[in-house]
Amino acid sequence: MIQVTDLQKAYNGVTVLNIPALTISKGESFGLVGNNGAGKTTFFRLILDLIEPTTGEVKIDDQCVMRNDAWKTSTGSFLDEGFLIDFLTPEEYFGFVGKLHHKSEGDIAVFLDAMKDFFNDEILGSKKLIRDLSKGNQKKIGIAAALIGDPNILILDEPFTALDPSSQIRLKRFLTDLQTRFNMTMLISSHDLNHITEVCKRIVVLEKGKMVKDLNTDSDTLKELEAYFAV
Amino acid sequence: MLILNLITQEWKKSYRAQGFYKNLAVSIMLGFFALYMAGIFLFLGFSLNEILEKANNKLNPMELFNGAMLYLMLFGLAIRFFMQQLNTFDLPPYQVLPIKRSLLINFLLLKPLTNPVNYFLLLVVVPFSIKSVIGYYSALVALRFVLSFIFMVWFNSLMASFLKRKFGSGLLTSILIFVILVGIFELEYLKIFSLFNLSKTIYNFYVLTPLGLVIPFLGVGAAFALNKWFFSQNYYPENFNRKIKGDKTVTANLSFLNRFGIIGELISLEIKLILRHKRTKSILYMSGFFLLYGLIFYTQKAYTNSNGMLFFVAMFMTGLLMLMFGQWLISWDSSHFDSLMTQNIPIRTYLNANYYLMIAFNIICFVLTTPYFFFGMRIVYIHLAAFIFNVGVNVYLLMYLATYNTRRIDLSKSSAMNYQGTTFKSFLIVVPIMLLPMLIVGTISTFFSPAAALWTLTLLGITGILFRKQLISICVNQFNRRKYKLAEGFREGE
Repeated sequence: MIQVTDLQKAYNGVTVLNIPALTISKGESFGLVGNNGAGKTTFFRLILDLIEPTTGEVKIDDQCVMRNDAWKTSTGSFLDEGFLIDFLTPEEYFGFVGKLHHKSEGDIAVFLDAMKDFFNDEILGSKKLIRDLSKGNQKKIGIAAALIGDPNILILDEPFTALDPSSQIRLKRFLTDLQTRFNMTMLISSHDLNHITEVCKRIVVLEKGKMVKDLNTDSDTLKELEAYFAV
Repeated sequence: MLILNLITQEWKKSYRAQGFYKNLAVSIMLGFFALYMAGIFLFLGFSLNEILEKANNKLNPMELFNGAMLYLMLFGLAIRFFMQQLNTFDLPPYQVLPIKRSLLINFLLLKPLTNPVNYFLLLVVVPFSIKSVIGYYSALVALRFVLSFIFMVWFNSLMASFLKRKFGSGLLTSILIFVILVGIFELEYLKIFSLFNLSKTIYNFYVLTPLGLVIPFLGVGAAFALNKWFFSQNYYPENFNRKIKGDKTVTANLSFLNRFGIIGELISLEIKLILRHKRTKSILYMSGFFLLYGLIFYTQKAYTNSNGMLFFVAMFMTGLLMLMFGQWLISWDSSHFDSLMTQNIPIRTYLNANYYLMIAFNIICFVLTTPYFFFGMRIVYIHLAAFIFNVGVNVYLLMYLATYNTRRIDLSKSSAMNYQGTTFKSFLIVVPIMLLPMLIVGTISTFFSPAAALWTLTLLGITGILFRKQLISICVNQFNRRKYKLAEGFREGE
């Protein structure tokens, strides 16, 4: 599904990310952990073709993502507020993204209805613009919009931060559900080791741009990670 | 001194802003422009006496000037209402500190008075009072004359910020102000009510009576008190910011665009972007005034003799919206650029949407400027040629050059005189787009004929329209080349 070969990103001669080879297969739930500056977001931005790799390439469905539009149909993503269009109301935004994926008004309504629990009645129907909503609600909108086009690949950067406890639990359930029902490939980064080990079956630890651990989640993983990050 | 601390912190805020050094080129250009204007104003100040002496032989120059004073005041107030940015001193971080609130408010209100822009007109007033008022009256009167002007500036500045905070600067208020101004002019013209005479009486009184200046000074005090009253009524920033924010959610019905698929969606997105941001909205209003440009140029012999100049004006008006918004093409999407790049939008579709939007702008402006056709067939031809040239050549140039503007633009900050996101490149774009065709028309019509010049540009335009696909492909390739630079630049805050 996603193939990374010889991927490097350097700013002014300083290498911030260096992944010689990595394959993420279909249906895999891939968790990325690491301290600030480890290169998590850089990696996601490279997959989404928002920054240019210094060397190497990323392939989605055997197509190089660089300067290509093909992967956009099958990939949903939310990294930060820059992925929202903040002068729209949530409804308008969902409508816009839905139309881009050739969804009808009815499809979008069905989708939003399924999101009702996750939104907790705070997002739809308020006529507020996205920029006037709280960070947590903005995050919910971003995650939902990433899913509206029935993507095969979902990329989320720290989806749990800024969410309230109930929403965090709902989101976890929701993500697991998407894996089992649609066999969706997921790439998720998080600072919360508990959450990530619950949601992801494979966990990669990045440190200073390098992959230092590649684990298949089992009952000992959480302990291993906690031991790794303990100072 | 606490107030000194506040002043230095404000100062630090401006020079520690990231854009400060990057924008040096623009600042220098603006500096030169300011110097140039200062020169003109000084020159005007020294020659105003002679001008006014010739203009009217019943009244002396100072009386004439005083007659204009209330007009200056009203115009000043109107201009400030549109242009003056409210001093948005961030209250919240200071509100929790042990600082007296009234001190903060006083600082907030009085700081704009220290802005040198306020006193620019003194470059006219002071030389005039030295040369003329001292000559006709005395040095004391001259001093009072200058002071009465300064008091007016203070009054205007305070009054404008009060009115703006109280009533907001929506479309309705703008129209109201416009109507009032035109109304006063009309009354003067029809000799029903003369603001000129009133102004002359009032200001002569201020200047010639020993204690006359007390009255305008009280006016300043009253304006200040009004502001204080406003803040006492609206204690919390959320209250007085609400007025400024106003009713943003203009749920314009743009569903007719649905028919055009993704391109239609993108165009309706851009239209919402224009309608829901302060900066874009004020540009839209200002464009209305710019459409009247022709009235100045088409009626003056000096300009109608020069084909190049006429073509420049025609191109400016028929391409007004395209030129106003086109300089922000792509970068106006800076705050949600990542979104557009990762959504299911092929780059070609994205650029096509921008292309059609620009074409629509051109058509709108062309239609709006058709009343100028009454100035004769010559104007009709020039407008047509300008329109076709804009649609066939300038659109692509703008789309191509827009990829070099990698500065993030903050559209939520107001309005006129806002140079945030303006770079040296923004000025450079003007050269190929405006000056080059002007030059072509000028040269060809001098050596051959005006008709040949217009035909040259029209044919260029038609060629551009015919090769639309290929030219957009060039823009797409260029966009793909610059994509990462754009994304990176837009992610950097100010």
